[in-house]
Amino acid sequence: MASTSKDVPTSPSGHDNTDDDLEPGASYDSILNPTDSFEEFATEMNTSLERSRDLTKKSSTISEIQSEIGECSKELKETKSSDNLQNKDEAISASTSNSNLDENGEDTDNEDDYLKSPELVNKEKHVFILSSAGKPIYSRYGNEDKLAGVCGVIQALVSVVEEQNRDILRSIITKDCKAVFLVKGPLILVAVSKSNESETQLVLQLTYAFNQIVSVLTLTQLNRIFEQRRNYDLRRLLSGAERLIDNLLIFMEKDPAFLLGAVRCLPLPEKVRENITNAIISTCHKIRDLVFAILIAGNQLITLVRMKKYTLHPSDIHLLFNLVRSSESFKTAESWTPICLPKFDATGFLHGHVSYISEDCQACLLLLTVQRDAFYPLSQAKHTISDKLRRSNCLTAINDALNRSKDLPTTNPLKHIGIPEIRHFMYKCKSTAQLFTSDPICLDRLQDYRQRHKEGGDVVKKKVEKLSDIDYVRNYREFCSKMHCACSPAKLIFRSNSLDTVLAWITNGFELYVTFDPLMEKDQAIRAVDRLLRWIKNEEKRIFIMNAPTF
Amino acid sequence: MSSRKKVLLKVIILGDSGVGKTSLMNQFVNKKFSNQYKATIGADFLTKEVIVDDRIVTMQIWDTAGQERFQSLGVAFYRGADCCVLVFDVTAPNTFKSLESWRDEFLIQASPRDPDNFPFVILGNKVDLDNRAVSAKRAQQWCQSKNDIPYFETSAKEAVNVELAFQTIARNALAQETEAELYNEFPDQIKLNANDNNRNRDGDNCAC
Repeated sequence: MASTSKDVPTSPSGHDNTDDDLEPGASYDSILNPTDSFEEFATEMNTSLERSRDLTKKSSTISEIQSEIGECSKELKETKSSDNLQNKDEAISASTSNSNLDENGEDTDNEDDYLKSPELVNKEKHVFILSSAGKPIYSRYGNEDKLAGVCGVIQALVSVVEEQNRDILRSIITKDCKAVFLVKGPLILVAVSKSNESETQLVLQLTYAFNQIVSVLTLTQLNRIFEQRRNYDLRRLLSGAERLIDNLLIFMEKDPAFLLGAVRCLPLPEKVRENITNAIISTCHKIRDLVFAILIAGNQLITLVRMKKYTLHPSDIHLLFNLVRSSESFKTAESWTPICLPKFDATGFLHGHVSYISEDCQACLLLLTVQRDAFYPLSQAKHTISDKLRRSNCLTAINDALNRSKDLPTTNPLKHIGIPEIRHFMYKCKSTAQLFTSDPICLDRLQDYRQRHKEGGDVVKKKVEKLSDIDYVRNYREFCSKMHCACSPAKLIFRSNSLDTVLAWITNGFELYVTFDPLMEKDQAIRAVDRLLRWIKNEEKRIFIMNAPTF
Repeated sequence: MSSRKKVLLKVIILGDSGVGKTSLMNQFVNKKFSNQYKATIGADFLTKEVIVDDRIVTMQIWDTAGQERFQSLGVAFYRGADCCVLVFDVTAPNTFKSLESWRDEFLIQASPRDPDNFPFVILGNKVDLDNRAVSAKRAQQWCQSKNDIPYFETSAKEAVNVELAFQTIARNALAQETEAELYNEFPDQIKLNANDNNRNRDGDNCAC
């Protein structure tokens, strides 16, 4: 039924007369650091390794372990994990209840009951964060206080592997569930997932959660706190920030931006974006110490003006998106807030003037500086920018794009492209780390999803009538992890079955995932992809930010 | 209540095997006692909410195995503990003598910030039995010599002093929680030159 072909010798572009270097959106100048999601994963694993290297002299080389963690060595890894567990069986009983009494047939312990409560059972993905002392810091569902026992067990599992086996516990995989562990500095992060996300993808999400904490505290503070007091209850400093982690986890599950390590831009006519950028530059170029001016709307980037030499990593931008989306208070007042961007500099805070551009436009302006008392000049600048944008009709253009006005070709790209067999596509330009999908997520739906999630997050097996962006993205995850597999990455995957046809294609310049009607022929799909790429090329100036303006 | 800070205390219970660590914990958490002895393997984890001076405190209790073959697990378990409960059996003098080494071992492995004032509590368990061999006086003397560690005589079987002992443990641990804020100093300003944020990292994803 499903046929997967890796490394097809003739690439689709060779088939048609498209030139080989057609890379829509590509640009020599980028405001964002180019990314590869695997590169990130490798870095994460290295850092956990360094920690273990301090503990042991007989540790294997990094490269050995890197290849070990790849998707393809899953089998090997599974057996390894179970080996560890067997050793542990002898060494430790990881029970949260008291087995002595339970086995006597008396009633179960309170915490045991709690673990079976609807608050916790049947969730698609749990995330737990604890200190290396085993104290709970965050649980996605339920009350982390009541999960103190579980956290103790997690800490025990991690440290037994670390100290007895001189190794790192990466994952425990059961038939329908993956538990993925990440030890970062003084924290232990765990995802327990029944979703189709790969180990790599889960580790990335845990890293994001860690970065979210760093963004609130800075890495320097986080480390210092636990150096001084290993028994510290970090919840004291994070109160209020749980919401940020909650929202981030939802955001990561539904937005392909995280899957691809890219940023989504708000599609705008080139001229409009240029006017916006110029308004910001002309207003701010004299403000010393202003590092970034960023205008965003609905989790999409409108423009980013930067100090020369400095660019941002997409994951820092994602954290900014998350901060803005999660903070209602920005809507009502100008805010002055310390923000740590972990990829930019994990050791310190930038200071941000954050405000919505005007009451009738849901675009949010962030002015980030290293100067801690620059509120008033930045507030002044914001008002000037806002006036300029209004006078040049840019606010209207932003609103049109946000409301997905029917006149815009980017509002419903599939209709505009006119290839009826294409149901959905997502495209990432690698050099600029930007992303475009056929069905941009609108704000209402995001809200919707969040509400559904609040009450639920449960595993659902529903038959969906009309698939949304989220459902397609869910489907792309598996393709994405095959494309980024460490040991034998695929360049092209074509899979056709009775439900749909999916083509995933990766080149030096881009990554493309397309869903077609079921039972498409390969030739037909490739021709459609060529037309699609040409359309993206045509619209690239509207859907991507093609330059990298500085103050 | 919402504004009240939540407090979670990590409590480690140590002592020779068979002195009644698990039974004490069970009496405290579940109000149950079983005469049957089952060795703890590695560690068990239990939580219990208690109220100390109007504050709700969650006690995360690490009931460790007393048997020697599990001692190597110590480091991992002791890390970041808020207090340590040392238990001996009043009918078995050797378990009393071991207290010294349990205490030393804990201080070495956990290396708390202020070892002299780290909150310990000593429990002399099984006072319900007739064949007592360690007198209260002897135990108290030892406790005094160790910076006045609080001493309780308990019976897990008859629930004697168990509640009181754990209350004291929680209160003493809370007292250690100094209100001196760790977070008062503002972190250093970012120095832009220090951060060479070069986007041209190696990799094949360059546009050229």
